[in-house]
Amino acid sequence: MKKLYIALTALTLTVASCSDSYLDETPYSSYTSDAITDQLGINASIVGIQNSFSNIYTKSDRQGWLSVWQVGTDVASAGGYESIEVPYYNYEKLTASDLGASSIWSLCYKVINNTNILIDNLEQNELPSVTTENKNKALGEAKFFRAYCYNMLATLFGDIPLQEHAVSSAKTDYTRTPIAQVNEFIVNDLAFGSQNLPDIDDVASNSGGKMYSRANKYMAMQLLGEVYIRMNEGAKAEAVLKQIISSNKFSLTKARYGKDIAKDGDYYHDMFIYGNQRRGQGNKETIWTFELENPSSVTGGYTGAPQHRRVWGAAYHNVKGMVLCDSLGGRGLGRLRLSSWLTKSLYKDGDIRNSKYNIHRDFYYNDPANANFGKKIPFQGADTLYWICPSTTKWYCFDEKDTYGWSSIKDWQMMRFGETYLLLAEAQLLQSHLDDAAASINELRKRAFVNYPLQGQVSASDITLDFILDERARELIGEENRRMTLMRTKTLVNRAKLNHDQKYPITGLSDTHLLLPIPLSEIQLNKDGVLDQNPGYTN
Amino acid sequence: MYQVYLRKDKLSKSILVLLVFMLLAPLNLMAQNQAIKGVVKDSKTNEPLIGCSVLVKGTSTGTITDLNGEFSLNASGKSTLVFSFVGYNEKVVAVEGQTNLTILMVENSEMLEEVVVVGYGVQKKSDITGSVTSISKERLSDLPVTNVLQAIQGAAAGITVTQTSSVPGDAPSVLVRGQNSINANSGPYIVVDGIPISKSGGTLNDISPNDIASMEILKDASAVAIYGTNGANGVILITTKRGTSGKPVIRYSGYAGVEGYAHMLTPRNGDEYIEKFKWYKQQRGESQDSPVPNYGELDNYNNGNETDWIDAVSQTGIIQDHNLSISGGAEKIKYYVSADYTNEKGILKGYQYKRFGLRSNIDANVTDFLTIGTSLYLTNHNKDGGRVNLLVASAMSPYGQMYNADGSYKIYPMEPEQLFATPFLNYGNDVERRSFNVNANGYAEVKFGGIFKGLKYKLNVGYTFIPTRTSKYAGRSANDQLGTASIYNSETNSYTIENIVTYSKDFGKSHFDFTGLYSAQERKFNESTAGAQGFVNDALSFNNLGSGATQTSKSYADKYNALSQMGRLNYSYDSKYLATVTVRRDGSSVFGKDSSKYGVFPSVALGWNIYNEGFMKKFEWLDNLKIRASYGKSGNEAISLYQSITKLSNNRLPFSGISTIGLSADNLGNAGLNWETTTGGNIGIDFGIFKNRIMGTIDVYKSNTTDILLKRSLPTITGYENVYNNMGETSNHGIEVTLNTHNIKSKDFNWRSTIIFAANKNKLVDLYGDKQDDLGNRWFIGHPISVIYDYVMEGIWQVGEDVSKQDPTAKAGDIKFADLNGDHVITAEDKKILGQTAPKWTGGLTNTFTYKEWSLNIFLQTAQGMLKNNPDYSYADEAGRRNTPKEVGYWTSENKSQTRPSLAYTNTRGYGYANDASYLRIKDVTLSYNFRPEMISKLGLENLTAYVSGRNLYTFTDWVGWDPEAKHDTRGSGSWEDNYPVVRSFVFGVNITLK
Repeated sequence: MKKLYIALTALTLTVASCSDSYLDETPYSSYTSDAITDQLGINASIVGIQNSFSNIYTKSDRQGWLSVWQVGTDVASAGGYESIEVPYYNYEKLTASDLGASSIWSLCYKVINNTNILIDNLEQNELPSVTTENKNKALGEAKFFRAYCYNMLATLFGDIPLQEHAVSSAKTDYTRTPIAQVNEFIVNDLAFGSQNLPDIDDVASNSGGKMYSRANKYMAMQLLGEVYIRMNEGAKAEAVLKQIISSNKFSLTKARYGKDIAKDGDYYHDMFIYGNQRRGQGNKETIWTFELENPSSVTGGYTGAPQHRRVWGAAYHNVKGMVLCDSLGGRGLGRLRLSSWLTKSLYKDGDIRNSKYNIHRDFYYNDPANANFGKKIPFQGADTLYWICPSTTKWYCFDEKDTYGWSSIKDWQMMRFGETYLLLAEAQLLQSHLDDAAASINELRKRAFVNYPLQGQVSASDITLDFILDERARELIGEENRRMTLMRTKTLVNRAKLNHDQKYPITGLSDTHLLLPIPLSEIQLNKDGVLDQNPGYTN
Repeated sequence: MYQVYLRKDKLSKSILVLLVFMLLAPLNLMAQNQAIKGVVKDSKTNEPLIGCSVLVKGTSTGTITDLNGEFSLNASGKSTLVFSFVGYNEKVVAVEGQTNLTILMVENSEMLEEVVVVGYGVQKKSDITGSVTSISKERLSDLPVTNVLQAIQGAAAGITVTQTSSVPGDAPSVLVRGQNSINANSGPYIVVDGIPISKSGGTLNDISPNDIASMEILKDASAVAIYGTNGANGVILITTKRGTSGKPVIRYSGYAGVEGYAHMLTPRNGDEYIEKFKWYKQQRGESQDSPVPNYGELDNYNNGNETDWIDAVSQTGIIQDHNLSISGGAEKIKYYVSADYTNEKGILKGYQYKRFGLRSNIDANVTDFLTIGTSLYLTNHNKDGGRVNLLVASAMSPYGQMYNADGSYKIYPMEPEQLFATPFLNYGNDVERRSFNVNANGYAEVKFGGIFKGLKYKLNVGYTFIPTRTSKYAGRSANDQLGTASIYNSETNSYTIENIVTYSKDFGKSHFDFTGLYSAQERKFNESTAGAQGFVNDALSFNNLGSGATQTSKSYADKYNALSQMGRLNYSYDSKYLATVTVRRDGSSVFGKDSSKYGVFPSVALGWNIYNEGFMKKFEWLDNLKIRASYGKSGNEAISLYQSITKLSNNRLPFSGISTIGLSADNLGNAGLNWETTTGGNIGIDFGIFKNRIMGTIDVYKSNTTDILLKRSLPTITGYENVYNNMGETSNHGIEVTLNTHNIKSKDFNWRSTIIFAANKNKLVDLYGDKQDDLGNRWFIGHPISVIYDYVMEGIWQVGEDVSKQDPTAKAGDIKFADLNGDHVITAEDKKILGQTAPKWTGGLTNTFTYKEWSLNIFLQTAQGMLKNNPDYSYADEAGRRNTPKEVGYWTSENKSQTRPSLAYTNTRGYGYANDASYLRIKDVTLSYNFRPEMISKLGLENLTAYVSGRNLYTFTDWVGWDPEAKHDTRGSGSWEDNYPVVRSFVFGVNITLK
């Protein structure tokens, strides 16, 4: 019997350890969406939305990503290209399998899902600890980012699947929603944001001060203005854009300010120096600056690896006798170069936006050990094409601890009051209010030309869509997504004709390219629904 | 295979040993006063048993029998003597005043016959009904391998072993009978001494091949069904060596040797490099103003200095292994204790692997009804060191500058090219990669008597503790001007508790064996990483993270649980008719809360030993014939934890300079997730003919896997990339042949061969219930799961060829793709399935020649019929910026190549360059000499074998690259920094047994 007791005891001990909950699964190290019930959780969700939004600009597995939105247009050509951007100037290579198109598609829908998760949570759950006002503020922020991404998708792809709520299980039966319906959805989101988002100086604060990179209502208004223009609603656009102007919260920068005030430079350039770019740093022209920090001092300073400097900056360091330095903007790769049209014929004399501080043109040997030290580098050989090409200084940045500079650590100028006037002029042109449009442009000209009105003044007879697009290039080069602007205005084909660059010329461009191809992988994975391809594209 | 040889056979061969015993015998006689004498004989043959242990029960007095099987010792007439001998049942005899005893020992038939470990027990080989492969002993010794799986590659039918990385200490991957699953783990479940190592966090790297006594692979549905949701991918059972009663056996096995490149993918030399650059500029339409791409190469070019970068990063590899074991035992207690030390210095600088292991296996008969035992082991792995980068070395310009003026490595040898830093960039880094496996397994077995005779209860408990640590520091020498340090720690704690009840009973010619199991398993895992950046200088390395300017930390924890019940009934009638029925019920925590977390897996197997039938006696040439058939169901739950739950990931973003925590969508969970089920049948035949000169096993099988744990890609419109679903069906069928032949049999010369052949056909049957392909995931119904779907390369566009009808955007030097749909453009619709990535068949051929004491073993291994994308064909836009291998050519307008594109080709279509990766390898050649006893006896040795062995001696293949089997990732992808060549090794080894 003794044996039996031993056996039974052992059996009992081991079996007793197994209760019903033995197989329950709890993720120890992850939050789930059920856990977002209070203001802290909501704040974290909004940061998460912005985090996923920033991935649109920091994708770095393909380093030519940012070039996709600039080359093959009037303003830029390929230089030291990677390869993702090749179909964006050799347009005949742009197919439904294109990586550029599928990347922007996925990146936008990821942000949209994140906004939907928060919006569903706020609209469908009680959340007793959150005030209605705070709820609406959070809804406004989420809806702003949702609208921002839907606007990108609508501009680039036309009719698109409209996912209005968070996805909770596999879904593969999407169809393309007509663009009018998409636009209405975007307008609703932005109208809500315009009303419920805080005024710019009422944004929430943290221990570093006011969080100006959280959404404010003028961001929603500026975007709404652009959406109305895309919808041919000139009057509505004008009305909403004028609200930004009449708020008197913003002003065009017309005097020097900020950290480099003692150095050579000009006031336009001051806005694009890291340390001067934020409203809290004295920039009264910015409506929205997306903030980046050096992760060596602030953990999680940015997502991905922003490639802006490497894409926009010249690769001068390839020239023997040149060393990397801050005044030349650190290490660029010249993945794109400004078109000759932009650098040679766009700007008029006296335009500060074309000053040597803003568009760098001449390079001098800067290695003291080199025999040619101090002499100007001649243009010779094919490589100087992007080694010492003229470049905008808007993305110049230099980290002496990391001269190789895998990432460019500099704030992004997302929305600027200067553009408000450009959009306003476009809205007025839509209504054929040419005098008003000229007046709007002249607001920018007063700032750009020190000798205004002797230089720079425009009149109603100057105003055409092409003129406004020219002016956008002058004002916003390096800032605006040029491809999106030209696709929005359906002018890509004609505008690209201005770019006569012989090296890596634009080929194969046609009206087909006023919309991007719906990604083939999406068509194929969406097996229970039909996503029609845009005309002119083959799979 | 667990074969017990009889000591008497071995000794009877040696006259010398006889002499030694004769000398010893009188010593025994002299020691006695009041003698009890006797002789011990085999009960059947009546031959004396030499070396049989004789012990006076309850005392430490004892002796062993001499050459004549005789013994004598001092004892009282009332004492009881215990006789024990390997391979025989223990015998207990009361002296009862006798002074001259004759003891007849009965052979232990269970031990004499080959027995096979089958999971939760052993079975006589002749009683096996399922498909179980035992690894031959030769593959378990005398080979320079650090992981036993490396030894069985090609040596067991139906097991595909792939060594994708030869980095010292990296383990190969294994697949049993093809791929069932698509996203869930497809590797077999590995059990060591009854305790699963697979889910404990341990790997077979923790087990020294020297300690392995036997290795069995369960393949068919019936054999694996007893492992339920862990069985579907096959089960590998490993049994380590244990002690046997008798005098201690002290054994040393060791080898040492050198390693080198099995195949060198030589980069271009200076002239070829210059030529390539010339063509590159010309093909890009760029004027050339320098003979070399970068000014940093000019000095060496002008001075005619070339650097062999591969040579610079390489060293002669050295591998050594030492294993010392002591085994033995007394009447009630048996032990096997071993220590093992492995040291491999890689052929690339900075790569090394050290392993130290200790093992203690003890069995004790505490009482006549209770046996307890332990299997304890401790393994310590060390892969320290900053490593060179092979890919970068192969990309370096021969004119690049290796050193700065001060002798330090120049960061950018091809200045100003910064895409490729020096291959020595991380070589000077401080890196410690450590892990331990502390494993304590124990069992207690109770035998019941009386009316419960035949009933046994066994409690089997395993506990595993696996701590790991990786500490790293990269500083100024690695071009990190801030200095970055991190320390990673992880801990895995797991336990397995099994209650096993067995009962065996005979009724006439019928024999029943029942096994019942109730078990629970848990694994807890946690890890943490602490990091810091911004150090004053590099002096403190990773030893003071607090001295860094910015601090980062992260951690993670999870838990896995499983519960199982199993019952198995074996029945045999007259050793002719065999049947096995099993049912297992498994529950696992990884499944969704909306599903039943349990699955039930039944199976049945039948066997017929035709040879044992009376009517077969007339076939004298036949020595064995058995037919087996089985059918059953097993499961797979091998997905990562928490896939059934939708989770958020945490991230950061700065606002006003303050780092702020964010939460965003991570994965889409599926609360209905459940196991995937594999149902399969197997028919096998075992045979032996011509006095077993030819023995073989042939198995054919077919299995279907349904409700696959499919990581289904979703339209990203959902915001997610994929979700796990139970959907779809795959099938595998195949044939496995194992043939052992004794080609030449003579007194001095013998030639034996083993032929292994296995072919598997894998097929996707369905995915989403509509038999439609999933193009986005490259899954095609009716084709293998893993295929290459790509354009068909027809050649290269030559100058002057008309591209307009086929690929209007192509230029001369571009790849000419077939316009399959004839629409005069190349689009994604011109892709097709080019082939499968798993081998269509694998095989091995072992030839062993023995001449007297010499033995030569030649092992060939092959894998045929698979395609693989060739990373060395695809440099995208880097072809002009880096050096490339000589073997990888490029098109020029002069050579009019039809196989390689021009250097300006940018591959915007993402063509993968699929190539046939079939190969045949001369895997191992071992020449050994077994010293005759008279030669070594004076040295105090019982056994001495010396051998030389060469591994990976030659590979026959059409593959262009480092190796068809090895994985070489492209720059920036996967583990590209650890690309490592396949090594060829030559070792000298000895196996010594002390007398």
